Amino acid sequence: MTFKVIKPGYFSTIQDYGRWGYAGYGMSQSGAMDEHAYCWANKLLNNHFNDAVLEITFGGVQLIALVDTVVITTGADLNFTINNQTAPMWQNIKISNGDLLSWGMPKSGIRSYFSVKGGFDVAQSFNSKSVNLRENIGQKLMQGDELNCNAHQYSIHKMIPRHYIPNYNNHCQLRLLPTYQFDEFNSHQKKLLFNQTYRISPANDRTGCRLKGQPIILLKQSSISEGISYGCVEISNDGMPIILLKDSPTIGGYPKIGTVFSLDLALLAQQQTNAKVRFQAIDMATAQQKRAEFNIFFGIE
Amino acid sequence: MHRIIPAGENSIIIYFGDQIDPSLPEKIAFTANQLKQEFNHVIIDMIPSYISLHISYHLTKTTHQNFCQQVEKYLNQLKKSSIKPDSKLTQIPVYYHFDVGFDLARLLKEKQLNLENFINIHSSKIYQVYAIGFSPAFAFLASVDKKICAPRLATPRIKIPAGSLGIADSQTAIYPSASSGGWNIIGRTPLDLSLTHTENLKKFNIGDKVKFCSIGKDEYLANGGSL
Repeated sequence: MTFKVIKPGYFSTIQDYGRWGYAGYGMSQSGAMDEHAYCWANKLLNNHFNDAVLEITFGGVQLIALVDTVVITTGADLNFTINNQTAPMWQNIKISNGDLLSWGMPKSGIRSYFSVKGGFDVAQSFNSKSVNLRENIGQKLMQGDELNCNAHQYSIHKMIPRHYIPNYNNHCQLRLLPTYQFDEFNSHQKKLLFNQTYRISPANDRTGCRLKGQPIILLKQSSISEGISYGCVEISNDGMPIILLKDSPTIGGYPKIGTVFSLDLALLAQQQTNAKVRFQAIDMATAQQKRAEFNIFFGIE
Repeated sequence: MHRIIPAGENSIIIYFGDQIDPSLPEKIAFTANQLKQEFNHVIIDMIPSYISLHISYHLTKTTHQNFCQQVEKYLNQLKKSSIKPDSKLTQIPVYYHFDVGFDLARLLKEKQLNLENFINIHSSKIYQVYAIGFSPAFAFLASVDKKICAPRLATPRIKIPAGSLGIADSQTAIYPSASSGGWNIIGRTPLDLSLTHTENLKKFNIGDKVKFCSIGKDEYLANGGSL
């Protein structure tokens, strides 16, 4: 029982919660870029928090169901339709054999998450189903691919409480923790970071997001390569911040001015090139409390 | 001495020094193993690298403040006991030749060395793993003799074949899989170090020693090498 790929879209990959336990050997954490949308996509189907879903970037996807099951689409509004009729997002939907599911052009946000009850049954590599093209693990979706899953009966309707649906068109505020070399940047450099509106450069993908703005001139350019945290902000030699994301290498040698709070990275994952981004400060206790609440809510171990 | 610094909402980084020092990788590897045993239930991942150890942890099981305090206390106790390094030596056969070493001819000219001298200088040394990263199982080895150090290429190559041996400044490394990269390529190993064999991911650990031995074309080809 499968979903057969009629159109693979621009960039669609299978992702789960990520690949853990191998960072010390150079393996990226990978996993869904927008953890908020990803977690809701599994929760509303009573899936395990780590179940594999399809991450659809920019749309252009068409799948035909060869199974009766229950599905959900969360994240970006990519004009989701079933048999050419607009279909609802953020709630579970019954799918019948022969249904045609499509995701068109982005209306709001850029990454949609498509999950099926029980998750997609795809090959696992190093304890995760996440595709990572930089590491040659898996492939992006191709025409003719078949995504295996089990049949399920529809029982009760479930949907996200409205106020949890983010507005991806809001200005993206990234809360930053003072980490790594934060104390080595002077007050002028920190002011530049917090007091300007950056724009997302075209160099943004699953590996990282490069920003454009007034440069932060570095006094000391290279430092010794060290372990990377998801969301840490490197200042490259030209003074531009690079936010390191899910498929980033595990070590990096540019000075790091801080680390973005993970749930704000979920919103960043929905921003297009040229979108505006600002940084603001957050303290460790607040960030930890908010993320711990999130993990408990979604049953993340 | 060590310094613990926050690295993210669920990660810290411990610095064991300010500059690259050959005594650090074994010390960091040993400390990482000890911490992993002591805090196994809270630690998610550890990334040792040159002078530091990055640790991520489950924040539903501890907090930054608690974890730092516990790690600090543990490290202070650890200092009193002696560090028992657990590093291993791996020998890697390499075909050092113009056939597979794209930058070898240029380096020989720049360094005014003949091939035999160059091979002797590179293969006589025992290197140490200082970091793993860039791509999975890519081990940064040092230090290369000053006579053959060479900066990265100004323009990286789009594709370097798997098994290629390179030099970047005072570091040397094998590309386990085909990838792009800017290192000076001086030879290739016939061994398959790619992740097609999943056990290769953990072939090298920080602090391990590596020695290269020069092999001829026949041996290279007989052991699975390609040109």
